[in-house]
Amino acid sequence: MLGSEMLSRPYLSVLIVASLVISGCKDRQITAYRAPKDPAPAVMPPSSGQAGLPADHPPIGGGAMPPGGSNMANTAVPTAGGSDLAWTAPASWTPKAGSAMRKGSFSVKGAGAEADLSITAFPGDTGGLHANLNRWRGQVGLPPASPAELDAALQHVDGQGLHFEVIDLVGTGGNAPTRLLGAITNYNGNSWFFKLTGPDALVAGEKPAFLAFLQTVKTP
Amino acid sequence: MNELVRQFRNFFVSLQLTVVLLILSLLIVFVATLDQVNLGIWAVQEKYFRSFFVLWRVPGSDVQLPVFPGGYFIGTLLLINLVAAHIYRFAFTWKKFGIQLAHAGLILLLVGELLTGLLQQDSSMRLEEGQTKSYSESFRNFELALIDRTDPAFDEVVAIPEAVLGDEGTVQHPKLPFQVKVKAYYGNATMQMGDPAARPGMPVANQGLGSRVQVIPLALTYKPDEINQPAAFVEIITSEGTLGTWVVSPLIGMAQSFNYQGHQWELALRLQRHYQPFSLNLLKVTHEVYPGTEIPKNFASRVRLKDEAGHDDREVVIYMNNPLRHGGLTFYQYQMNAAGKMSAFQVVRNPGWLLPYIACIMMGIGLLIQFGLSLTSFIRKRSAAAQA
Repeated sequence: MLGSEMLSRPYLSVLIVASLVISGCKDRQITAYRAPKDPAPAVMPPSSGQAGLPADHPPIGGGAMPPGGSNMANTAVPTAGGSDLAWTAPASWTPKAGSAMRKGSFSVKGAGAEADLSITAFPGDTGGLHANLNRWRGQVGLPPASPAELDAALQHVDGQGLHFEVIDLVGTGGNAPTRLLGAITNYNGNSWFFKLTGPDALVAGEKPAFLAFLQTVKTP
Repeated sequence: MNELVRQFRNFFVSLQLTVVLLILSLLIVFVATLDQVNLGIWAVQEKYFRSFFVLWRVPGSDVQLPVFPGGYFIGTLLLINLVAAHIYRFAFTWKKFGIQLAHAGLILLLVGELLTGLLQQDSSMRLEEGQTKSYSESFRNFELALIDRTDPAFDEVVAIPEAVLGDEGTVQHPKLPFQVKVKAYYGNATMQMGDPAARPGMPVANQGLGSRVQVIPLALTYKPDEINQPAAFVEIITSEGTLGTWVVSPLIGMAQSFNYQGHQWELALRLQRHYQPFSLNLLKVTHEVYPGTEIPKNFASRVRLKDEAGHDDREVVIYMNNPLRHGGLTFYQYQMNAAGKMSAFQVVRNPGWLLPYIACIMMGIGLLIQFGLSLTSFIRKRSAAAQA
């Protein structure tokens, strides 16, 4: 019944032309208007990477914020309240993009392998020193140890006004054992964790650098 | 019935049309998904779905030919097909009123989505504590703003959209006493210190920051969390000659200005601004977490809304799932940096925002009526059968 009657040509072309006109150029209009004065510098550029610019140029980058689609959990939310510690990492450690949980994140590379340094902080004592040490033991595949054994294995390091409990754990799992170098300190009611994990040989080689790094951690 | 009208009706009512349109939809979704590798989500949406035709640029020229129906074309025909078939095939009886209402609600929902797609405008407003703004900024579109800052009370702005800059031509506007010649435009570029003359093949700027920096064009990025930072070389030409060539880019943080005929002008390539007749002042930023954890509980911003025309001057708290609706715009809490005391709102203008609610109510009532009628007639038959 319907057969092969197509819309006759004039109507089809009218349809096409009309839709082309509708979909066209509303993005090309030059507008002129009166605007109130900007109280601050007129141009606030979005975040970007830039190399050095002339000395009298105000700093670029009014806060890193990816436009479109990032949820609020990705913004810089302090995981521990109050002010943060600061540190200076060795040049061979590459900073990595942090996550909402991490205060700092570094990638330590050497001999074709990679280790991960994470810096996190949480309010309170988060279960206590021994609980956290046993948590780290579990992460490298070791069974939990008694408080006396843990205390015996601890190394105490003093930095700039901070006291660190440092532990060196070698795991038993897998083909290549994992080594975990961890340091815990308390500051301003929060517990700070510095954890370097990676292949055994690499982390063992980085231990002096790790201890020196702890010395650079300072309070604001 | 007129033969021509009957031809129209048969065409739009036919099921063959529905099948053809659905096959076209499959094809376009498939091709668009493959193209997303090259173009990224935003460009693919514009090219394949928010258009009446998919355009193909003839290689070696600027001519664009329509080669395939686009999302709007297919969607509109499907809608016409649904409505026409519905009208044609179903006679109106009270018994079928529920189903009719539910179908009408569904049609309204589709129409609402089409209107939203065509008319919705998204922008963002980023405020720091204590800052007042009366404009929102586009997420990824830029404009070249020529601002006359002579008057101490207000600025006169002429805004040239990025698309016009891309033509690299000469722009004239009645409000500008000079011509703006776009010597070069780059969709994405970075800048570094260096002698601009050392980059051959590019225009040389002799005014402003451009005389001391080099512009390095980059490839356009299609990643969803990056935006392109364009740059352009702009020459101001007056009736007495040229005033010079500037480099403009959103990466430049200092004002680049010049004087002409007693007026002080400023050039800025910035995110496209949409000014509103009211202003928001961010008073306080609050970020709450569940105690003892880092799980976010609430993001709230207290703002002061000042609207001279509406004689409105009140404090409002905007938080998640509680936007501010004012002046045809809706302000949603979008991002926050509590440590930096910064809050960003997503500003949405959507005239059709009520349609999905109305459509769902219609569908709900329609289904209730339909199932209610079925239920009562079923009960009546059962009790009649039980008595017999």
